[in-house]
Amino acid sequence: MNRARAPANGKIGRASAPYLLILPSILFAFWIIGYPIYDMANMSVHAVNRFGKTAAFNDFANYQRLFSHQLFIGCLIRTLVWTVFVVGGTVLLSVPIALILNEKFFGRTLARIIIMLPWAVSLTMTGIVWRWSLNGQFGMVNATLREFGLQDTPIEWLATSTAAFPILIAIGILVSIPFTVTVILGGLSSLQADVFEAARIDGATAWQRFRYLTLPLIRPFLNIVLVLNFIYVFNSFPLIWVMTQGDPANSTDILVTWLYKLAFRYGELGIASALSIVMFVILLALTITYAALAMRNERSTA
Amino acid sequence: MYQNKKSRVLGLLAGAAAILATSSMAQAETVRVVLGYYSAATQELFEGMAKDFMEKHPGDEVKIEVIQWDNLQQRLTTDIAGGTEPDIAMIGTRWLVDYVKNDIAEPLDGYMTPEFKGAFIESFLSPSTFDGTMYGLPVAASARAMYYNKDLLAKAGVTEPPTNWDGVVDTAKKIKALGTDAYGFALQGKEIETDAYWYYSLWTHGGDLIKDGKSGVASPEAIEALTLYKSMIDQGLTEPDPSGLNRQDIERLFKQGRIGMILTGPWLRGQIKTDAPTLNYGLSPIPEGTTKATYGVTDTLMVFKSSKNKELAMKFLTETAFSPKWRIEFSTKEGFLPVMKEEAAAPVFADDPQLKAFTDMLPYARFAPPVANWEQMVDAVIAAVQKVYIGQAQPEAALKEAAATIDGLIQQ
Repeated sequence: MNRARAPANGKIGRASAPYLLILPSILFAFWIIGYPIYDMANMSVHAVNRFGKTAAFNDFANYQRLFSHQLFIGCLIRTLVWTVFVVGGTVLLSVPIALILNEKFFGRTLARIIIMLPWAVSLTMTGIVWRWSLNGQFGMVNATLREFGLQDTPIEWLATSTAAFPILIAIGILVSIPFTVTVILGGLSSLQADVFEAARIDGATAWQRFRYLTLPLIRPFLNIVLVLNFIYVFNSFPLIWVMTQGDPANSTDILVTWLYKLAFRYGELGIASALSIVMFVILLALTITYAALAMRNERSTA
Repeated sequence: MYQNKKSRVLGLLAGAAAILATSSMAQAETVRVVLGYYSAATQELFEGMAKDFMEKHPGDEVKIEVIQWDNLQQRLTTDIAGGTEPDIAMIGTRWLVDYVKNDIAEPLDGYMTPEFKGAFIESFLSPSTFDGTMYGLPVAASARAMYYNKDLLAKAGVTEPPTNWDGVVDTAKKIKALGTDAYGFALQGKEIETDAYWYYSLWTHGGDLIKDGKSGVASPEAIEALTLYKSMIDQGLTEPDPSGLNRQDIERLFKQGRIGMILTGPWLRGQIKTDAPTLNYGLSPIPEGTTKATYGVTDTLMVFKSSKNKELAMKFLTETAFSPKWRIEFSTKEGFLPVMKEEAAAPVFADDPQLKAFTDMLPYARFAPPVANWEQMVDAVIAAVQKVYIGQAQPEAALKEAAATIDGLIQQ
């Protein structure tokens, strides 16, 4: 710390030099990130036609129409259910997978590759494959069930929301696992072996070692995984779009798929931009709250 | 004084430059055409037209660009917002109302001779006419008819295809009684044109989508039309869980010989030819309720108001693209119905008995109403019929909800 302290007087120029040097990059970054947000916010408070031409300021009518829209609350609730279940399920499954892959066993490298492999396949492709597999008349899932004599009449898996939404969540978990396992595995391999050895000598059980050593030590990694997954999943478009397009009767629509319909199918750019701002604010608020909580926790445990 | 003189000289120079620029542009004009992708033949067909036209008009250029239909609306919207729109674009006719309302489409009457206008089949011009002014030329037309599986109907003891809905229900019951894995009547329940599949029933029951400036989807006729479909699902006369099948899915079932009757467009003929050449099928009109109807759909070629070469753009359309030679070439290769009288009289169309099933229905063709917010109305209707198909709501309640949404959109 002492080394970094600025010299007492007359050297302010030197102290601010680094900031001046990175100033252009900072301004550039602000412009790249900030301008679209500004543009979107600007559009959201004006009357806009479907060709993006903005007209007069319209007293937040876009927001009014958004909040009073019959689909808004439903989509919001489904988005939260979708996000919580996908992120929660992903983390709950990824921790044990990462623990197993962290052990030394024959074929570990192969197992790690197999876990990572789905990451290389685009979400759109995964969605298409599952859509076909779940097709009632021609799909692999029904064919398998029939083969084993478990099914008489074909089931259309994506025809009702009671089946389609949980299936979408399960597939959402499946595609989020590779990234999550990778990060947690990175955390696990950074742990010092001697701490665990000391604990074992002191007579701690495997569960105790996990609960009181592993878990607190990989907490920063879990935090990263939670926040990043939360943002990805909240905004996740391709899976649901490819598999159901929000059907039947909007029962699998989440905010982002509805946003796409509003903007590009209905040409309601005003409501769509208002919705984008609302989604941005929700994500920002949740992320900041979570980051603040996580930091406070870290400080109190430190 | 000096200042003034200088600016005048500059002004003169600028004017001269502008004149030079426009005159040099008049020598070599370029017309950019953006088209939707129908098949691998689309690009080739229009490149052929462009080549023809450029030979007749040396120095001018016609540039063709073909884009997937899914992206077309978004691409044109972005172009218009950025001021980089082409001179001519192919669009779904139902989009035209938004283009007219926002003063983007050029009125075409001034560029056409009465003979040229008179060469079209009348009913195809109305969807692109607003307040008596034409804003687009119909380029691809389709109507819908009923395909039926002759072998399946024969096995069920039905020799003639049913002509009304009672007959359809009756035939479907007989097919169900066979106890095979075939279904009597195909019902589409998701994605693009799920609404259209219900309009067949709505229109033939005497209903209207929009009547006297209000939604007609909750009329007694509409409720009857939807109740009919729901009762067919409940009796097992359709494939199970229709809300899980889109248009391709039910067409695929028909090609596999597992559907007795299906309502769809002329493109299925071409698919059967390549995918299921042995399928023994026939074509007949959409079943009647209280009246005859079919769904007519056209796509449109329109000229942008902002185009600098509107004259030349229209010349390309009137002289080449809509010449009988290229019309016949286009419609036969892409599998569409003729839109011009001379085209319809050509042997390829006049002597094709299967195509007659479609062209015979043209006088009864109904088109999507030219209203703004059409896509939102469609989705409201789709949500309503899906709720009924999966048993989440009764026809009347679901349709009333949709009608309220549509009325709100009309008033907007």
